[in-house]
Amino acid sequence: MLFDFSPTEWQAIGLSIKVSLVATLCSLPFGILVAYALARWHFFGKQVLNGLVHLPLVLPPVVTGYLLLVVFGTRGPIGGVLQDWGLVFAFRWTGAVLAAAIMAFPLMVRAIRLSIDAVDPKLEQAASTLGASRFWVFITITLPLTLPGILAGGVLAFAKALGEFGATITFVSAIPGQTQTVPSAIYALLQVPGQETAALRLVLVSVVLAMGALLLSEVLARRASNRTGGA
Amino acid sequence: MLKRLFRFIIQRSAAAVFIVLASLGTAQADTITVFAAASLKAALDDIAVQFEQSFDHKLHLSFAGSSALARQIERGAPADVFISANTNWMDLLEAQGLLVPDTRVALLTNELVLITPADSGITPWPIDEIDIVTLLEGSPLAMAFVDAVPAGIYGKAAFVFFGVWDELSQHVAQTDNVRGALALVARGEARLGVVYATDARAEPRVSVVATFPKTSHAPIVYPAAVVAPATKAAQEFANYLMSPEARLIFNHHGFGSANP
Repeated sequence: MLFDFSPTEWQAIGLSIKVSLVATLCSLPFGILVAYALARWHFFGKQVLNGLVHLPLVLPPVVTGYLLLVVFGTRGPIGGVLQDWGLVFAFRWTGAVLAAAIMAFPLMVRAIRLSIDAVDPKLEQAASTLGASRFWVFITITLPLTLPGILAGGVLAFAKALGEFGATITFVSAIPGQTQTVPSAIYALLQVPGQETAALRLVLVSVVLAMGALLLSEVLARRASNRTGGA
Repeated sequence: MLKRLFRFIIQRSAAAVFIVLASLGTAQADTITVFAAASLKAALDDIAVQFEQSFDHKLHLSFAGSSALARQIERGAPADVFISANTNWMDLLEAQGLLVPDTRVALLTNELVLITPADSGITPWPIDEIDIVTLLEGSPLAMAFVDAVPAGIYGKAAFVFFGVWDELSQHVAQTDNVRGALALVARGEARLGVVYATDARAEPRVSVVATFPKTSHAPIVYPAAVVAPATKAAQEFANYLMSPEARLIFNHHGFGSANP
């Protein structure tokens, strides 16, 4: 049967969704902050921050994964400290979340930044002159107007996280139930002659999940822009 | 005026392209493209230097996982010689008639070893007496994919042979290739790992705890063959791989000879 998944495959599918969701939700606040900073603030080292954010987009994923292993591994400078606080990334699903979040971050920031750029600063200035604080302006004006962009960025990040393989396998390897996601299951299947059908089933699942997320975001974005009076 | 200049540039560049293409055509005759398993990189780079000195041929070496290379050859990649890290991908190409008959040889052998970070304090010990789970101290056992990548398949077979796989399987962290497992142990993230003897030899930050006996897993053989259509140069390189000079280099990198 084409869609008769084995328990390990179900496990990989469930884990992929969990990892991608958590990665997207956890990185979204940072993504909005960084996008806002890059779009609106002028500060020393802005281009450096911009470069750093985009680095995972151009580095080979294996290099990103290796750097994560060096920095966030149990023997790494940050990983070692976090371990004392009870937060372990190495060989846990949390490590897969970290890898996915970092790989997806540039896409998220780009999408959100574009929609912040598109907000008319005069609307924000108007709110200020009416007495709103900078924080309140952001919450009541900027955020609602950029909601379609935030949704698009989130979905793009989710889809990217769903397909992340290189950094994850290098950083946290593949442990069934912990870090063996759909892409790494597909990779393993393709290493053996005659397993192409099984690989294809998981590929179809990936496509369906990504397309589903994309459609959902379209619907949400349309609703959001209707409510804010079209953008 | 501009138009004439433009025409001049086009004519000149067309001529240049033609010259480059023509020279490529003549060079192709004695250029040998070799597709080889990634674990052979260091050894074949050395062999290529020697071969190009003794013969008037140019070698193009392409390294990747055996599965990826075999799939490329299946789809018509222009490989002249293929060296696989395991027999089943070579079997697949042979069954499809993509190899030149009677050119397939068992080129090399390798051994499987249990490794630990050089500073872990774990000392060499007979493999059948090691309590691996205790030695791990909660860290994972690094292996290549145990159902997909050859090094992982051999390792799993060996642990099944010793009757410890059921207990070990939940501690295994699988990597996409054997060098990934090596890196995890070299970085000290995994206290134990299973790799080839040649990998352990190439990495000073790991030491060998035990060598798996040959009886505990299927033989680790690297087959080589000339990919159809046959060329004289490709056959010369295939023969050179079996020569004493090439053997010496393979042995230096830790590989064994398949037919002594």
